[in-house]
Order: sequence, then structure tokens, then C-alpha cells
Amino acid sequence: MKLKEITSTYSPRFPSVVAYMLQSTEYQSKPYLNWLWRTTDFSKVQNRRVLERTSKAKLLEAFLRLGMALEIIAGIVLLILGIITSTVWEWELGIPLIISYPFVWSHLVVIPLELGRILVVEPNERKLVAQSTQLFAKHEAVKIAVAGSYGKTTMKELLNTTIGEGRSVAATVANKNVAIEHAKFAKSLNGKEEVLIIEFGEGAPGDVERFSQTTKPTHAVITGLAPAHLDKYKTIEAAGKDIFYLASFLKGNNVFVNGESEAVRQFIKPNYLTYDSSGVGDWKVSGVKVGIEGLSFNLSSDKLMLNLKSSLIGRHQIGPLSAVAAIAFDLGLSKNQIEKGIAKTCPFEHRMQPYNIGGAWIIDDTYNGNIEGIKAGTQILKELKAKRKIYITPGLVDQGQETERIHLEMGKLIALSSPDLVILMNNSVSSVIKKGLEQNTFKGEVQIVDDPLFFYSNIEHMVAKGDIVLMQNDWTDNYS
Amino acid sequence: MSKPTVAVIFGSRSTEHDVSIVTAIASIIRPLELSGKYSVVPVYIDKKGQWFSDPKLKDISLYTSGSIDTFLDKQKPISLRIGVGMEIVLRNGLKQRSIKVDIVFPATHGTHGEDGELMGMLEMANVAYVGCDLPSSVISMDKSLAKIIAQAAGIPTSRFVWFYARDFKTNLELVLEMIKPLKYPLFVKPVHLGSSIAISRVNNESDLINAIEVAAHYDDKVIVEEAVTNLIEVTVPIIGNDDPRPALVEQPMVKGEDFFDFDSKYMHGGKKGKSAKRGAQGYSKLPAPLPKKLYEKSEQTALEVYKAIGCKGIARVDLLIDSKTNKVYFNEVNTLPGSLYAHNFREAGISNVKLVEELVNLALERRTGKQKLTTSFSTSYLKQY
Repeated sequence: MKLKEITSTYSPRFPSVVAYMLQSTEYQSKPYLNWLWRTTDFSKVQNRRVLERTSKAKLLEAFLRLGMALEIIAGIVLLILGIITSTVWEWELGIPLIISYPFVWSHLVVIPLELGRILVVEPNERKLVAQSTQLFAKHEAVKIAVAGSYGKTTMKELLNTTIGEGRSVAATVANKNVAIEHAKFAKSLNGKEEVLIIEFGEGAPGDVERFSQTTKPTHAVITGLAPAHLDKYKTIEAAGKDIFYLASFLKGNNVFVNGESEAVRQFIKPNYLTYDSSGVGDWKVSGVKVGIEGLSFNLSSDKLMLNLKSSLIGRHQIGPLSAVAAIAFDLGLSKNQIEKGIAKTCPFEHRMQPYNIGGAWIIDDTYNGNIEGIKAGTQILKELKAKRKIYITPGLVDQGQETERIHLEMGKLIALSSPDLVILMNNSVSSVIKKGLEQNTFKGEVQIVDDPLFFYSNIEHMVAKGDIVLMQNDWTDNYS
Repeated sequence: MSKPTVAVIFGSRSTEHDVSIVTAIASIIRPLELSGKYSVVPVYIDKKGQWFSDPKLKDISLYTSGSIDTFLDKQKPISLRIGVGMEIVLRNGLKQRSIKVDIVFPATHGTHGEDGELMGMLEMANVAYVGCDLPSSVISMDKSLAKIIAQAAGIPTSRFVWFYARDFKTNLELVLEMIKPLKYPLFVKPVHLGSSIAISRVNNESDLINAIEVAAHYDDKVIVEEAVTNLIEVTVPIIGNDDPRPALVEQPMVKGEDFFDFDSKYMHGGKKGKSAKRGAQGYSKLPAPLPKKLYEKSEQTALEVYKAIGCKGIARVDLLIDSKTNKVYFNEVNTLPGSLYAHNFREAGISNVKLVEELVNLALERRTGKQKLTTSFSTSYLKQY
């Protein structure tokens, strides 16, 4: 252990750093403790952000400071007693007390959190969720549930924007997609909404079943399946089984499934409607134009021809947009309303969001954290024309035992998109991605960056007119 | 394998001291570090001429906050060990350590740096360095000498005369007699200063004397030149050693009768008299909206000047165009364009990182070429003595 690492543990800032770590891991004991145990230098923890001084954070920091102060005082009192009484045991106890205070309190802080969760938060949540079951059951609106390992928030927003052109719509907020958030959403409704859009954020086996029983959806969109939350699900099949409970809840009626996700194919049944870049159900896609500033295509059935334009980029968006248009049509929206609604769809922050810096296009996909998104992104990079192509990533997190295989595949996908320069962040997976690149005879340049924050905040120096840069995923402090 | 060490030297005793800080930190040090290929050492020369080196000197806020003097008070100046290469010697109490420098990136604008003084020292140190060498820096820094060289290479310039400041003080009549054949309006400039410092445009003799007084206050040599009529002013940044190539021909956004002084170039984002964004960028049309032939002629003239003067690495050639006759005149060369003219290179498809990488490579290429030259010659001269 280096001197700097030791001093960072005994620094006056240490309680604030611990509070930051708790806040960044959303006050969850396990990820917090994992982070705590692997950290050696606490002076480098607050790299990307600083502690947001909420009342909860302030309370925890005060608890830590008070506990640490009391332990130090107790240690000093024992030492003084040892001097007065000329006995050794006070010293034997006092010195370890003084030395151990950061270690003791950074662990003890978990106890009030867990107690609070067991005694206060969870009973309240159970009560709220029970109430919401009644509210959802009584509500007469069409209820569209959006589930899947990725792309849920985007799909929810696409549905909200488009259907909102012709119907009164309410949707769950941002990526707040667990039972308690559904309950809060139910409480916020006025009962007059015509369509409700509810995002299902699966995290452990049985989640989707519980959400389905509570919210009682009438329609379902399953956006795809990829390795995620494997710490709980263990296998992608187990995750798929949970997610597809939603389809069986609806007995296969009004179920839209992303056919471009390879892993969902084993779960698809004949009465499901699959969507992909060729269309959805009876709706067929033609006249596709894809560019950095958006895409356009025609979607036609024997009843209607829709001319659709969106600011979303990438061929992989055609399927979701087709599904949205088909659902909107089923819900009675007119051609004009659907076209107008789709035209309003645009990239969400940090999700395939293009912006221009002095003639160079940067595609910000830093909220993308799964291999399916990597596939879509690298496909776009391959398809777009540029003077120079740059690909930037730190890799993916939470891939469990699949980590090596996924990152080798990432290397392959990146190599196939033929960038001139690949920039990786120096971390546990960069060498695996590099290996994947080499195995697929990547001929461009590879750069490994030691300081991601410095790199991202100076990206304008890396680019010139005519460049296209794709940035996929970004690691927060607790993964760095 | 350890990364090559690049020492970026900036600041210095120059009227363009502050411009140099911005060039060094924003346009050289940051991209060099982003490339991940070099270990970058800042070498700052303060306004008194003392040399310092510390990693904290890479932080622009140290200068913008005004805390640089307090910081330097606590630092010990460095010394250099030169001979077969160059080493920076740092002292901390009784401890001493040295950093071996592989490449020097000069970022000093104007006097005591860009004028060739620094290049002379680097030649003696036998270290690879970025940009123009000693002779081309000296020539380019002297506006009259650069024009004389250009004329000798058959490149047109506007009519001009030059004289020493002391001549103006001791023999005004002779100086005015020299200027008499020139047609007003005239430009009066100190020959060695850049960033448009102390430049005046005059329409008559009484204004002329005032303007010369101003120029002579800043420099020991003054140039007076005819203004080009129907003026289109363009500038061409160029990169390369023996095979130079232009970036884009750029047109500063000024009226024919106007010109850029220091404030409008650096303080008002190029918009004369208006509050605007900081920095020298954004005050020009890029690329210059010239007819194709005139655009190519400008590129060609700039390249001819670059070669005639013997520029290496990077330089920016300023040209004056008479839009009626389509005649292109050479005006002056800047061997270290402010902020490396990175905005222009970026528009031409060269990122800041690529630009500095290429400049470092050009420096190494030039040094390799020089090392192939024979520098000794055996004679029996000493035996005969």
C-alpha cells in the first residue's frame, strides 16, 4: 500500500467520499461494498462527479463523521487511561480503535441503510404497489408495457411522441421502471388518459411477472434480449423467460417483438408480431434512406402508405419506428397524425445522438451498455461515409461470466466496421477488445487512454472536418 | 517502451507573451497529451526571461487567474544542459534531477523566440525541434528581409522602403525622402513584431511621422509600404519540410480600407469594435471565396514564398490580392501562427492531435536529414601552425 493510498483513507474528506460511493451505487449495499473493497486510493474516487448534497447524503455523512469522531475519542481516552494507570490493555485496545476507524465506519454505515430498507422503505413500497394494482385495474386506458434488455426507454419515448399526436397519453418517467415507480406513476394519473405506456425494468427473476400482474397491460413491446443483469438471472435464457412472461400474460395478443434481436428468436410464437427493418406484420418497408442527420422510409400495407421521416439515425431504428407506426394505426391515429408524430421523434440524450463539432460528426451513444447496441452502432459506422472514422469505447459493464466473450465479439464488430482509429479506455476489458480487434485483422490504429475524463472533455482536439466519431458507453466512477 | 519527451517552450520576453501561453497550452500541450504518444514537459519563460518547468504550468487557469507570479515565486528556475541533445535540470533544495528532452516544440511568439534566437540555441543543443529553423525564422521575423528574398525569387510584393529607427531620429529628412516615391495610403510597421502590434495605416505626411514614431518605439527597424488597392487579404497556413502543402486559403473579414490590430485579432474575436467571442478564430471566411484560379494562384504563391525563405514544419504566409487585376502580392510570413492556426487545419481535415503529431514527425525527419550531413573536415591546418 502506497503512502498516498493510506493518507486518502485517513483524509478528512474520507466520510464525504464514502457518502459519494453510497450515492453513486444508489445506496445499495452490495455494489457499494464491492466498490469499497476494490478501491485502494480514495483520493481518486470522485473523478466524474462530486457528492450531490441531498438530505440523505448529508445525514449519512454526518453519521459517518460522528461515528468516526466517537471512535477516535474512545481510543484517545483509553490511551490516557493507560498512561494514568500504567496498564497495557488500554493501549492494546486504544491504538487499534484509532487506526481502524475508517474501515469500521465505512462498513457500519451499511447497517442503518439496510435497517431503513427493511423497516421503512420496503413496507411503504409494498403498500404503494398494492394500491397501484387497484388503480391500474380500474383504469380503462390502453396499457402498453415495454420490456426487454435494452432500448426500452427509447421505445417508450417513441410511442409517447407518436401516439401523443392523436391520443391522450401518459408514460412512466425517464428510465424509472421498477414496481415502486409504476406505483408512483399510477398515483399521478387522472383517470382520463387514453393510453398508458409503462416501462418494465427487469433486474431479477420474477420481476416482469410481478409488473404484469400489477399493471395489467393490454399491449406489449419486447425490444430485445441481450446479456444484462446476469448476476441475478445467471443466463440469458432465464432473462428471456422472465421478459416473455409478458407475452404469455397477454396470451400472445397485441405482442410486438423485435425480430432483429437474435436472442429473442427462441421465444417467438406464431401469433406474435415481429418487427424489423423489413416491416411489421402486414406493413412492408421500402425506399429507405439513412444518413447522419436521420432516416426516411415508406411503410405500406394494403390499407395505407406512410411516408416516414425521423431524426433517429441508423437502419436498426426502422423496425422500432415501424412497430410504433403500426401500433398508432391500430389505436386509430390518422396517416397525417402518424407521419407528424414519427417526424417529431429524435435521438435522446447520449443515445445515438449526433452533433457537429467544426465539421466533424460525433455520434454520442454513451448511454448504450449492451452488445446489441454495439452491433447497431458499428453497423451505422460501417454504413456512413467519412474522411476518417473513429470508434471510442471503454467496453461494457455487468457482463458477468460472459465478459470475455462479449468483449471479443465487440472487438470483432468494431473491426468489421473498419474505423481508422479505435480509442479504448485503459481498464479491465481494454486488452480483451484489443485481442478481438487483432483476431479480426484490424488494420487501423489503436490508442489506449489512461484518463477518460481528460479525453472526453477535450474530444474536439481529436477531430477534424469530415470525421465521424462513434462513442459507445461510458463508465461511471463505480466501474472505473 | 517509454514515450519520447516533448518540451514545449512558451512565454518569453515578448509583446506576444500571453498569446504564446494560449498557443502552447490549448493548441500544443493538450493535443500532444491527448495523442497518448508523448511525455509532455512544459517550459515556461516568464516576462523577465527566467525559465521554469513544472507539470502545473500546463494548467491555463494558473495564468488566467493571475496566480502565476505567486506560483513562480515558490519555484526554482531551471537550467539547461546542452551539447549532445538537451536536458532540463530541475533543482529542489539540494536534490537535482534532469529530464532528457527528445523533441522541443517552440511556442514562443515574437521576439526572443520566434525570431530565431531560440532556434539558434536548439541548433547548438543538437536536439530535434518543431517548426522553422534559425535562418528562416530570422528572415521571416524581419518583414523587409522577407520581402527582399521574395522579390529575388520573382514573387511580387507591394513597393516598400525600410530604415533603422535611429535614422528616423537623426535624419528625418532623408527618411521622408526615401518614402516620397511611395503612393499613399501607406502602412507603417515595426519590422520584427507580429500580431499587428504598432501597425498604422496613414493617408498623409503628418500622420506618417506619428506612425513612424509609434513603430520606432517598439522596434529598431521600420518598414513603410504601399497599400494594395481593391484589397482582398488572405492567409495560407502551410505544413511540411521539403514537400510542403497548404491547408486552406483563409480570408480575414475586413473591409479593404481597414486592417486588423491586436485587439481586433485577439480580444474581439476578429470583429473590430464589437464585443465578440475570445480568440483569433471566427473572424474569417474559410475557405476564402475566391475564383478557382485566384485561389490556386494564392496557394502557389504561398508555397513559393515558403520554399524561397526555407521554412520548415509550419508557417503561415499572408498575401494581398488586388481584386481588379487579380495580382497576388506577398505580405509577410509568420513562422508560428497563433494557436498553430489549428482551426484552419481542422477545416482542412487535420485534427489538432494529428497536426501536432505531424509537426513532431517533421521535426524528427529534419533532424535525421541533418544528421546525415558531414560536419567535420580533416585538414593539416593545426599541424602547420
